[in-house]
Amino acid sequence: MAEVLSAHAEGLTGRPEAMQRLNVTAKERSRMSPLFRLAERLQQSMQPVQPPTAFVHSLGKELTDNAKRQIALTKRLRQAVMIVAAALGSLVSIASLVGAIIFVVVRLRARAQARTLRTPVG
Amino acid sequence: MHEESDSALIARAKEDPEAFGLLYERYAAGIYNYIYYRTSNHHDAEDLTARTFYRALKHISRYVDRGAPFSAYLYRIAHNIVANWHRDHSRQRIISLDELVMGSPKREEPAAVAEEREEQDLLLQAVRRLPSERQQLLILKFVEQMSNAEIAQVMGRTEGAIKSLYHRTLVALRKELASVGNGWEEITERMKDEQETNG
Repeated sequence: MAEVLSAHAEGLTGRPEAMQRLNVTAKERSRMSPLFRLAERLQQSMQPVQPPTAFVHSLGKELTDNAKRQIALTKRLRQAVMIVAAALGSLVSIASLVGAIIFVVVRLRARAQARTLRTPVG
Repeated sequence: MHEESDSALIARAKEDPEAFGLLYERYAAGIYNYIYYRTSNHHDAEDLTARTFYRALKHISRYVDRGAPFSAYLYRIAHNIVANWHRDHSRQRIISLDELVMGSPKREEPAAVAEEREEQDLLLQAVRRLPSERQQLLILKFVEQMSNAEIAQVMGRTEGAIKSLYHRTLVALRKELASVGNGWEEITERMKDEQETNG
């Protein structure tokens, strides 16, 4: 029954082939006729309405302007993120370099001290 | 000229504001219709249509194309916005101007036109008393003229589930109309007889 009603509705909305594929007997058809009639009345009563042209136009313009601002903001945000990331990267690199230099200096000093201590006096 | 696909427009909309404008032009009327039939007045239909597209625009950069049509995404947003609107308005019953204008028969109207209008009002009122998903199904089917497959995508169900929901909806609507009494069936019968006599 759901299949037949559905095919009937498809027929009402311009797709009659669904109903043609089904073999509906006259008895079935008469049993379902109140629901068919209800569907037909629904189809007649629920007609598309046209949105006011001025509204469609002004909302379209507002949305496009808003999209422009949103894209510009996203771009600026992306740029800011890139700058911050680059700055952080540079800081980390400099810190690593300084760390490495300090490490090498400390090691060299420690070696020099050790050599001084091992050298016999006189 | 070949029309640009929704997927291409969505991808472009992340960088090009005009692309979102094209998507809007493609679906504005459909979304407006859907909301109009759910709210029954033009003023709220305009307001909620604007909110739907603003929300879609806000999230377009994070939209992931999973194969479902973009319209399904828009109808889902509209459905949620309308549900919130109904929740906010549930405490107060507002009779819209559209209802007053459409609902009351004009004095100069011929009797047959007035009767048809009365029948249509009864039917649409009964539709508005149905649960929201059943209203959604009827609007997508009769106003938007979508196929069962398209409705299934919008409502996130299988085609079989849509067919059975449609069946249940018609049965419930018929019961609802019978419960309002004398009006509907009688008018429909009379109009059918008149059509047969004239035809």
